[in-house]
Amino acid sequence: MSAKTVATAEIPPEAAVVPAAVPDRSYFWDKIHSLTGIIPIGAFLVEHFWSNSYALVSADLYNRQSSDLQTIPWRVPVEALLIWIPLLYHGFYGIYIWSRGKANISRYSYGANWMYVMQRWTGLVAFVFIGWHVYVERFLTQGRSNYFDVAATLSHPLYLSFYVIGILAVSFHFGNGLWQFSNKWGLAVGAHAQRKAAWVAGAIGVLFAVVGLLIVCAFVFHWQPFQFYAQ
Amino acid sequence: MAEAKTILVRVKRQAGPQDTPQWEEFSIRWRPNMNVIACLIDIAENPVTSDGRKTTPVSYEANCLEEVCGACAMVINGHSRQACSALVDHLEQPIRLEPMSKFPLVRDLVVDRQRMFNDAKRMRCWVPIDGTYAIGPGPRIAPERQEVAYALSRCIFCGNCLEVCPKVNEHGDFVGAAIVNQVRLFNMHPTGAMHAHERLRAVRGPGGIQECDNAQNCVKACPKGIPLTESNNDVNRQALLDSILGWMFH
Amino acid sequence: MSSTKVILIGGGLAGLMAAIRVAELGHSVDLFSVVPVRRSHSVCAQGGINAAKNLKGEGDSTWQHFDDTVYGGDFLQNQPLVKGMCEAAPGIIDLLDRMGVTFNRTPEGLLDFRRFGGTLYHRTAFAGATTGQQLLYALDEQVRRFESEGKVRKLESWMFLSAVLDDAGVCRGVSAVSLRSGEVRTFPSDAVIVATGGIGAIFRQSTNSVACTGSAQSALFQQGVHYANPEMIQVHPTAIPGEDKCRLISESVRGEGGRVWVPKAAGDGRDPRTIPDAERFYFLEEWYPKYGNLVPRDVATRAIHKVVYELGLGIDGKNMVYLDVTHLPREMLTRKLGGVLEIYEKFVGLDPRDHPMKVFPAQHYTMGGIWVNNENQATNVPGIFAAGECEYQYHGANRLGANSLLSCLYGGMLAGPAAVKYAQSIAKSAESVSSAVYEREQKRQEEIYDRLRSQQGEENPISLWKEMGETMTQHATVIRYNKDLQAADAKLAELQDRYHRINLADTGRWGNQSLHFTRELGNMLVLARLIVQAAALRDESRGAHYKPDFPDRDDEHWLRTTRAEYDNGSFKFQFDPVDTSLIPPRKRSYTSS
Ligand SMILES: Cc1cc2nc3c(=O)[nH]c(=O)nc-3n(C[C@H](O)[C@H](O)[C@H](O)COP(=O)(O)OP(=O)(O)OC[C@H]3O[C@@H](n4cnc5c(N)ncnc54)[C@H](O)[C@@H]3O)c2cc1C
Ligand code: SF4
Ligand code: FES
Repeated sequence: MSAKTVATAEIPPEAAVVPAAVPDRSYFWDKIHSLTGIIPIGAFLVEHFWSNSYALVSADLYNRQSSDLQTIPWRVPVEALLIWIPLLYHGFYGIYIWSRGKANISRYSYGANWMYVMQRWTGLVAFVFIGWHVYVERFLTQGRSNYFDVAATLSHPLYLSFYVIGILAVSFHFGNGLWQFSNKWGLAVGAHAQRKAAWVAGAIGVLFAVVGLLIVCAFVFHWQPFQFYAQ
Repeated sequence: MAEAKTILVRVKRQAGPQDTPQWEEFSIRWRPNMNVIACLIDIAENPVTSDGRKTTPVSYEANCLEEVCGACAMVINGHSRQACSALVDHLEQPIRLEPMSKFPLVRDLVVDRQRMFNDAKRMRCWVPIDGTYAIGPGPRIAPERQEVAYALSRCIFCGNCLEVCPKVNEHGDFVGAAIVNQVRLFNMHPTGAMHAHERLRAVRGPGGIQECDNAQNCVKACPKGIPLTESNNDVNRQALLDSILGWMFH
Repeated sequence: MSSTKVILIGGGLAGLMAAIRVAELGHSVDLFSVVPVRRSHSVCAQGGINAAKNLKGEGDSTWQHFDDTVYGGDFLQNQPLVKGMCEAAPGIIDLLDRMGVTFNRTPEGLLDFRRFGGTLYHRTAFAGATTGQQLLYALDEQVRRFESEGKVRKLESWMFLSAVLDDAGVCRGVSAVSLRSGEVRTFPSDAVIVATGGIGAIFRQSTNSVACTGSAQSALFQQGVHYANPEMIQVHPTAIPGEDKCRLISESVRGEGGRVWVPKAAGDGRDPRTIPDAERFYFLEEWYPKYGNLVPRDVATRAIHKVVYELGLGIDGKNMVYLDVTHLPREMLTRKLGGVLEIYEKFVGLDPRDHPMKVFPAQHYTMGGIWVNNENQATNVPGIFAAGECEYQYHGANRLGANSLLSCLYGGMLAGPAAVKYAQSIAKSAESVSSAVYEREQKRQEEIYDRLRSQQGEENPISLWKEMGETMTQHATVIRYNKDLQAADAKLAELQDRYHRINLADTGRWGNQSLHFTRELGNMLVLARLIVQAAALRDESRGAHYKPDFPDRDDEHWLRTTRAEYDNGSFKFQFDPVDTSLIPPRKRSYTSS
């Protein structure tokens, strides 16, 4: 029902049977959307932050780790199934969901309402960032860029800021997305449980942001705090 | 004694669904304990704007005047709430009154909230009983359970939770937290629970629970303090289990 | 058995119950209501609903309930149906329970009961402090179920205007107006049930809802339906004043242990919390040791009147006393009375758990109403039935708390099947009635509207309404004097005259609320005059009707039902004997007993 519908005073039609609503596809697609955010995208994110953390150990290890990943069997179908398709679906369906909402923080500037709006914008930023990142790192360079290539890119202030913004957006979107997930899948129901879930999800978001920024530091300052592991 | 104070009230007027809205300002004599409804009655008694122009009385809805019937919801100073419990002394002036924006407008501050009742039909929001003949008492219910159910059952169908929800608008058809909360309420009742599957199927239908994206304005706007986000999440859980079990076993 | 259509006017408890009964029998219903039925006035009822289920081991019985009701009503009821109601009450509670009403529970999971005025038993089932709301919702949901099955059609935002009567004076349907488009229409049917509730708006600031204008009752009265005991108006002792209405603080507050008091010293302006117990006058407990704060409403109201006006002990010299719950445990207050205390908190701004509430008496209920036979809710006009607060049957001269919800449901349960039975028994159905009958009524109604739209003058409907309310509240509530009543009648006649000089600021059709209100105002004025004239006639004191010049009950002359008939602008009164076959009248006194 839209605000444009006109209220009329016609005599209500004769009494008529109103059947119960029945499930439609949107329920399924919506659940898939929120699921893909966690598995596989979230899982991939964990993996990606993990392998990039090798940059905090040493350039060599980083390069080895990355070339290991280039040589997994069934690489293209695996990537398509676990990364590209879910990512595209999550992104475009997310934009569709966004288009069905109408933000109103100017009137109702409550915390969760801000989160609602931020989730959409960070989603968009993350989507663009990840798209560009994948394009550059996976397709332009065929995934062969090593530690020094990345460091070279990041020495450019424009790219650096893009990375920083991208990492923050991804971390926020993932952390808040975890909280959304706990709501949407009914994992946290009571007000107390919701608050606890918010803490946990928030902590995970912050953790990702911190780790992400540390990885950036590893490239920008050639800073390898865990180098002694490799010695 | 304090000199006669006045209250400034601005009302967004619209003669009918097709007309263009316009604002009118009224000044009203202050008395103790006034609420927004008292101001509207004053305007009806003397429908003259503050610049002395004659106009028509403002149309609005109200019945109980004690925040239990739900009729008088409108947007007051930018926030959707009940007019009868909006005390003038607690409001910033000029007081701005607008109709709710998420429902079809009838006139001035009157909107048509019929969709809520229709959705309650589609979602089977009742306890189906066999008949009104005497067939003994209802099921026993633990006091703790009654207390939870009572809190949910105080919904006055005012629609504030729909008005503040970003997912309720002309592009989306979300039924709103109020209806989701009703599904939870009836699924809680021992007899209602026997038909939970039908309700949980319905709530996965068009405009169903999947539309909720947790902006959580509903719970802030609800004049009855109903734990709406809990209801949304609980119904999410029930609907999910029902859909998985339904898919596996039905 | 063919299926008939019953028209129901009003979707409060009584109307919805009747609708359920009709639909359940397989017939269809057209349900008219000025507000969406879920917003009907019944939602305001706070305290609870009576039924002698005797779950507290007190030896309560339906007969005891019956006796309390008749005694509380000062013996003005025809007794057989009252007995029927009290006997049906436990079953009605069971039914509500099955419908899912969230009644408060005992630890064993059974229904909990509280005490209410005018009884010594725990007889009142309750759902927090919003019982009426919970009951109405349960019925509304059942009706919605029938609606979704195609058995009920709701016409909300439609206002009943009149019955359509054929040349033989038989009801053949109704005329109604859409509050949106302003369009007048007639709707045929074989039987009409009226359940339009109270008449509080006649007193302007009452505890009732805005829609309780009594306009429908008055319109029917003017069409020949009899009206009984109009003078019996209940004033509730404990309300809080407001600009727009008086908000009730339910009797359940006293049922759970709330105490009424005033400072012993006149003009004692201290913060009530600092006034020690010894300096407080708990006048109800002192004067009525057995019932204490739970005397019936008429008694409590007059006691407050006495304390304020004769003893001069009102708070700040005003018509106000304290209602105090600060001595009770907070958790219990919130659990059992949350809904009421919230009202005080929201509208006065003080937490009654910490501050004694300031309360005063306000018009609350009409015991009088449309006359119905003492069998099946039928009025004197064939085809018209009535149930709920709009009829006079169950409460005599004073209603006990928590008995009204019960009488609404019981009346609705009787009226539904009775209307169906009637519709199926008549030889000639509405379908065969000439369309001229409907056109005639439609034209008559449209003309009334046209007249209102075009009339000239300087009067404003709201101002007239306020004057009427003041007159009625001043002269026709707690204390009545014949000369005041006569003056009030003259004043009302003057208002009726000025009514014809109302100049509407808005003469359009679409959503024109002041037009419809003015329409109702005309009807309210008739009912107001009926109340004061009937009050002037009854020279005795009985229940809520109290005349200091005639302080005693006079069974010899006035154990009679006042029954009024409209006669071209004036009223004809007759006085019917009351059926007291089951409980012989005895003196009513709550001081010892
Ligand atoms: C504040 C308060 C508290 C109360 N607490 C209690 C309590 O605790 N226990 C108890 O037993 N009783 C209580 N009562 C009394 C009780 O609530 C009412 O007597 C009862 O609810 C009346 O129900 P009803 O069905 O007769 O009418 P209502 O509920 O008033 O419904 C009337 C219906 O008629 C419709 N209507 C009216 N005029 C027209 C028209 N012209 N055309 C179309 N439709 C029309 C209205 O829209 C509405 O749907 C209380 C009353 C008040 C005011
Ligand atoms: S849930 Fe609250 S805000 Fe929503 S309709 Fe019910 S009472 Fe109003
Ligand atoms: S008038 Fe009923 S909620 Fe405000």
